[in-house]
Amino acid sequence: MAQKRIKKELNDFGRDPPANCSAGPVGDDLFHWQATIMGPTDSPYYRGVFFLTINFPTDYPFKPPKVAFTTRIYHPNINSNGSICLDILRGQWSPALTISKVLLSICSLLTDPNPDDPLVPEIARMYKTDRDKYYKVAKEWTEKYAQ
Amino acid sequence: METNSGDVNQTTFDPTFQHPYSPARLPETVRPSKSQDLKSRFKNLRKTRGDGNCFYRAFGFAYLETLLTNGKEYKRFFETAQKSKDDLIGLGFPQFTLEDFHDTFMDVVKMVEKPGTTAALVEAFNDGGLSDYFVVYLRLLVSGHLQQNADSYIYFIDGERTIKEFCSQEVEPMGKESDHIHIVSLTKALQVPICVEYMDREGDKCNSFTFNPFEGTADSADATPVFTLLYRPGHYDILYPL
Repeated sequence: MAQKRIKKELNDFGRDPPANCSAGPVGDDLFHWQATIMGPTDSPYYRGVFFLTINFPTDYPFKPPKVAFTTRIYHPNINSNGSICLDILRGQWSPALTISKVLLSICSLLTDPNPDDPLVPEIARMYKTDRDKYYKVAKEWTEKYAQ
Repeated sequence: METNSGDVNQTTFDPTFQHPYSPARLPETVRPSKSQDLKSRFKNLRKTRGDGNCFYRAFGFAYLETLLTNGKEYKRFFETAQKSKDDLIGLGFPQFTLEDFHDTFMDVVKMVEKPGTTAALVEAFNDGGLSDYFVVYLRLLVSGHLQQNADSYIYFIDGERTIKEFCSQEVEPMGKESDHIHIVSLTKALQVPICVEYMDREGDKCNSFTFNPFEGTADSADATPVFTLLYRPGHYDILYPL
């Protein structure tokens, strides 16, 4: 079941890819994809290209895909291991969602961080108390790691 | 909870109707008179797997089983189920995943057509691929109904959240348990009246509750429940009347 569904997602993704994202299997393994996200224009991640890994569990789509950044990024909801704190990748995953929707949600998260549910409390604190400094550091990291 | 390996058990005659939980889990034991009450009205209990999807699985199985002997209702339901897909796509669910779930859902529904048998349904509901896809589609129907009637349901959800948020938190994810609002929605979405026997802590007998999807509407369709579920805190099973 999982394999059939992942194949369909791959076709769907190829036919109608979300803006500023790409994704596809690494080699022959359908359960292991690599994705890229271009930093959104209205964010400090603009002009950065961020790589992510996507691992589908064997009981996909009943369990969410495991998605993580491999490119370092300065963001309140993404830690140094690349783990992403996003509701739909955890308890709010629905089997009707797709990788395409997940990547779009990650793009939204880049534009609008969620400092009230942080994975990196220091960055969340800075985001809340000194937005200019957050923006500056995030932009520096983008230049350093994602360009 | 239940330790069945399958999703819907073969009918297990359970003359005791005793509460399945250990006293440690439920210190205030449910009064034995409730088991007596059930014994006086029901002959059988079919257990469903306790994985948080039990309401949907019990509903799906029990309903399709009644359709085996009710061709007229099957025809009505088939048409409702068939056209539900477009309503859901209209609400913004991703088309290709929705079609996937709908196709499998309809495949299971069509098993009712002659010569449909209870045994074949048991087999389908124990096949994870079919059964879980079926459950997902019922969850999407509940979500769709709630979203289409958001104004009527907004006062019945906990916490400050929108109906859409409620659906993505409490309806669409697999394994999320069902409450009154989910049952109301599914019975209304499919126009199927059902009865739930509540074997909880209050009273000497089980409390019966009929979910009448036609209540408050101009529709005067027959509201006699088409099947009965048993609710024991945290879990739904199927009851067969004497």
